[in-house]
Amino acid sequence: MTRLNSFGSVMSYVIELETRLTSYYQAIGNADRATSADKRRIKLERIRRENVVEITLEPIDGLDEADFPFNWEDASDAGQTAVEAAFVQFYSAIAPKINVLTAQRALERCGQEHQAS
Amino acid sequence: MTKKLKNYVGGRWVTPSTTAYTPVYNPATCEVLAETPESTYDDVNDAVKAAVAGFEEWRTTPILNRSQYMYRLKTLLEGRFEELSKMIVLENGKTMDEARGEVRRGIESVDFAAGVPLLMRTDGLEDISSGIDELTLRQPAGVFAAITPFNFPMMVPLWFLPTAIVCGNTFIVKPSPQTPISMELMFEILDELDLPPGVVNLVHGGTDASMAVMQHPDVTGVSFVGSSPVARIVYETCTKHGKRVQAQGGAKNYIAVMPDANIEASVKNILGAAYGCSGQRCLAAAVAVGVGDAYDLLKDELAKQASKLRVGYGLDEATQMGTVVSHAAKERIESIITAGIEGGAVPILDGRGLEVEGFSDGSFVGPTILADVTPDNIAVKDEIFGPVLALMKADSFDEAIEIINKSRYGNAASIFTSSGRYARDFKYRVNAGNIGINIGVAAPSASFPFGGQKESFFGDLHGQGMDSIEFYTERKIIIERWT
Repeated sequence: MTRLNSFGSVMSYVIELETRLTSYYQAIGNADRATSADKRRIKLERIRRENVVEITLEPIDGLDEADFPFNWEDASDAGQTAVEAAFVQFYSAIAPKINVLTAQRALERCGQEHQAS
Repeated sequence: MTKKLKNYVGGRWVTPSTTAYTPVYNPATCEVLAETPESTYDDVNDAVKAAVAGFEEWRTTPILNRSQYMYRLKTLLEGRFEELSKMIVLENGKTMDEARGEVRRGIESVDFAAGVPLLMRTDGLEDISSGIDELTLRQPAGVFAAITPFNFPMMVPLWFLPTAIVCGNTFIVKPSPQTPISMELMFEILDELDLPPGVVNLVHGGTDASMAVMQHPDVTGVSFVGSSPVARIVYETCTKHGKRVQAQGGAKNYIAVMPDANIEASVKNILGAAYGCSGQRCLAAAVAVGVGDAYDLLKDELAKQASKLRVGYGLDEATQMGTVVSHAAKERIESIITAGIEGGAVPILDGRGLEVEGFSDGSFVGPTILADVTPDNIAVKDEIFGPVLALMKADSFDEAIEIINKSRYGNAASIFTSSGRYARDFKYRVNAGNIGINIGVAAPSASFPFGGQKESFFGDLHGQGMDSIEFYTERKIIIERWT
């Protein structure tokens, strides 16, 4: 059963993913990318905090975390590329589901950062 | 050992004189989170004395300095945002998203209060007669208090306290004994601000403490949010004792759905209005009126979407609806559903007896839809304050308006339509304080007064917005001649 069914659950899940990505790059020794992931985590926590709108909290449907697999075991260059690509796909799927414009823009921006990295 | 809550009086935590304490439960797990004191008249009196003593120093503190405290308060609240949200979930039972939304709206009130210096400015006129000038001043009025409910244990006190103190008053909060811990955390944060002693005070308790607040001669005014019967008592008691009072009561909020509405999108929003906070908010949608062909479409779509809502423990991020506040509330709500069905309502979705795995003692009531209800059905007449949506059919827009305006409550009403004409007519003709057009929870932001009419509000000046500046200040007219 999907856990991606509300504003907070989607935001918390993506925060978890960026936290995981920070650890992933730290383990590889890629400090720049680890720092970027951690900055995104901090930004996403702020977005979750500042953009929760009580009067438009509506169920989100059509998202399932199982559709967005991340292979954290592969630390090769190809593995890193695959992880970044998975993030791009994930952000492009979740952004349109969020009904708060500021949060939607922030998620799109995160996706663009992954695309560029 | 269970923590015993303390009062916060004169800038320090104090153990109240009472020996009577009430357990505070997590409504999902039944765990006792704390014990809250049943403060007595003497405990309230101590808080009032501290607030009176603090008033003179505080009112002479420059207003720009008073507003600076709000920026620091906001920073501290943002820093403990998740902690505050989790505490609301633990003691109230709502979901994390709802709790975060509550804290967010509380912070919006702090933002508003930071702007009080602008809003307290007044006007004047030169030469109203030869050499005579006249001007208005706004001054703080003294000691104010808020008696607040269980359903928004963080947000509702923040509707009042920040604005009141930046206006130069001192303040006492008496939170609900069912959900007092959020205010405990709030006062930990307020304590960090190093406000002068007596500016903010916290007194826990129930009816005795509330009555002591309302009857105390040194309390200037009282803000209250709760049920209508109690709001009426608060209003009558306070006015009898010469106080200004704003008492927000209960509600039975109607939603009209027109045949031209986008049913699927409308229902998505109506779900939040009917089942958000498990229906325990004064702006909850309680009755949906489907007009003409919209009725059957609405009924089917509501059943489809509401049945998919995931009910569970609020700390689980995937939970879309949490508990009601207590076993007693669950029993009361379920008994009204039963009586509604016995009265002829057709249960399209029945939330009675819901069991959530791992939380066998939790106070869960599932989303409930009662269709084909008539105006005399208990599910329409009485405020249920639970996740129950009654459906009524109207043959025309005019009939829908007539149904809505017959309610003895007037807190909020919404319409879902794609017609500007219907929308305009609705906001023009419906007797409710907060009107939603294609939005089910018509909750005013902090800079607007929180409306309410008929038995949903007792008083003159509402909470929030410019009304709050009027409520928390005294106007003085100065007429001067120097020639």
